[in-house]
Amino acid sequence: MKVRRRVVTSPDRATTRPPRTPTVRRTKSAIVSAGPPAPLAPRPTATRPTSRPDGSHPDGRDRNRDRAVDLSVDLAPGRGGFVLANPILVASGTFGYGIEYGDVVDVERLGAICCKGTTLKPRVGNVTPRVTETPAGMLNSIGLQNPGVDAVIQKYAPLWQRWQTPVIVNVAGESIADYTEVARRLDGVPGVAAIELNISCPNVGKGGLQFAIDADAAGAVTAAVRRVTDLPLLVKLSPNVADVRPIARAIEDAGADALTAINTLSGIAVAADRRRPLLGNVFGGVSGPAIKPIALRIVYEVCQVVDIPVVAIGGVTELADVLDFLAVGAVAVQVGTAVFADPTLPVRLVGELAAAAVAAGHDSYTPFIGTALPRHPGTPSAKGVEYRP
Amino acid sequence: MRLVAAELVDSREILPGQWLQAFHAPALASGSRAGQFIHVRAGDWSGLVLRRPFSFNTVDLGTGIITIHFRTVGRGTEWFTRLRAGDTLDMLGPLGRPFEVDPRSRHLLLVAGGLGIAGVRMLADEAIRDGRQVVLLFGAASARDVYPSSLLPDEVEYVVATDDGSLGHHGFVTDLVPGYEAWADQAFACGPAPMLRALARLATGRRERLGVAKLGRKKGGGKPIQIGSPLARRKAFLQVSMEQNMGCAVGACLGCVVMSVTGIPQRVCREGPVFASDEIAWESGW
Repeated sequence: MKVRRRVVTSPDRATTRPPRTPTVRRTKSAIVSAGPPAPLAPRPTATRPTSRPDGSHPDGRDRNRDRAVDLSVDLAPGRGGFVLANPILVASGTFGYGIEYGDVVDVERLGAICCKGTTLKPRVGNVTPRVTETPAGMLNSIGLQNPGVDAVIQKYAPLWQRWQTPVIVNVAGESIADYTEVARRLDGVPGVAAIELNISCPNVGKGGLQFAIDADAAGAVTAAVRRVTDLPLLVKLSPNVADVRPIARAIEDAGADALTAINTLSGIAVAADRRRPLLGNVFGGVSGPAIKPIALRIVYEVCQVVDIPVVAIGGVTELADVLDFLAVGAVAVQVGTAVFADPTLPVRLVGELAAAAVAAGHDSYTPFIGTALPRHPGTPSAKGVEYRP
Repeated sequence: MRLVAAELVDSREILPGQWLQAFHAPALASGSRAGQFIHVRAGDWSGLVLRRPFSFNTVDLGTGIITIHFRTVGRGTEWFTRLRAGDTLDMLGPLGRPFEVDPRSRHLLLVAGGLGIAGVRMLADEAIRDGRQVVLLFGAASARDVYPSSLLPDEVEYVVATDDGSLGHHGFVTDLVPGYEAWADQAFACGPAPMLRALARLATGRRERLGVAKLGRKKGGGKPIQIGSPLARRKAFLQVSMEQNMGCAVGACLGCVVMSVTGIPQRVCREGPVFASDEIAWESGW
């Protein structure tokens, strides 16, 4: 104990002291680092990631492994930048406020966290039952239960501030005034890294959905929020529309930094024993692997008409899904429903994506992006007319 | 809360459509208390996207064996019945808040309706270990659904009611409660919502008659007991274990809520599943 203290308090002397005969005390004191730690030598690029391809080790050493490949992504290249360490995010509503999974998930290794939908006033949400499993997916109608923006700022923002991982606050509302007021209160709050506008929650009775199904309304709410905040602004698209492209364009023109696609699809379930709607709210939102083809299609369409980054979401359960979404043009993905079954999946995907990039001989994951998009964007897609008369 | 790979050691159908499975999971067993639950991932990921919550039915700390008791109600539970010894499952737990027994309670009344037995079964073990007397009132539809007494500790006084009168009392299990109400120091219940609602009404009536809920509090002093705290449950005469469709089971998705008397929905997975009966707004229609 004595030896340890001496070395810590006078590091200079410890380093300059002439070598002595090794004793037990000497070897002990050598454990305590004397002087400032030497910077770590950069890791060899190719060898580390392949050494543990699953990337599941919760140890901090793995971070060096992820850095070997550049996974960083900028979600707001147009305005100062909003750079995430990696393109794997957790989706709003599935990860609470980032603290719920506790020690099970290392939030510091995620690209970003989208928190539960936040409204101006506290909301109690919908009557139960609120969730049920459906074929290869689930149906939820939480109804935006949340304590309100002020409580979120007070309770969670100080915690978020301590994390390296940025937290994107998902904002919902019933009117443009709601959205702008919430955004105004979030602006400048330490710990709030960005805003994701939920203009398409299918589970609230009025208001919410209308913004997302109309290009003018979607553009108006985006522009209104854009005027009151300098935070990076993501807008979440709804799949419950005939053609998402004009809406995406309107949102881009209104000043959004990035798009998120897609929100849940509207659906219902019937309780087998009662022959009545199962959910308390009757309508819910379908998520999970079941909606992945739809999400792919919408990301594919949107990526061809906008220049801002698109964050894909919808049924990601494994690395192959991530690569699929990157192929159709997304720059990042959010993991949602799959977190419920496998809370460690997002963190594992980060390692797997890095390993996949190395295996393909890249030093970044960007070569995966957009490979499935049409070579000649100008030509109208013949396939497009098949499903949309 | 831990993610644990648990190995199935025993699986049997103890009643028609009801299964008892034993898993070797020392990491879950060590931290668990009666009333808590685990969230188990079904292996067929492509179709079954949600984990399944199960109460700890019994926990053996010595061997690290935990058991779960469930009824086959859908594809998930059917998948579980096809497991063989040696298969491993991914379990998340222990989750939720446990039953809180007042240290001075000598006589515990457990009330279980049907599969609700799985929710209070472990409490019987804990109470007997602590030297308390336990009466278990059990209600089922008919004799074929009655939990076998051989699976209960010998010290438990086991009283059965069946809806069709094929075994024990003819009627609801709640009919039996008034006979034990004066004897019991505390009551713990798990079962269908109508049963819990009826019990909550009985407990309210008891408090009004006897003032039992205030038994442990000093007169005129002390801090008010905060709703949702362990103390609130410990001081309550009736504690209920609630059930809801669950998503994440850690409090992130807000899928499994019950309405509380404060008007704020409480998460069954986080603030529950055990609540003091007077914390819950029974008549709110949720």
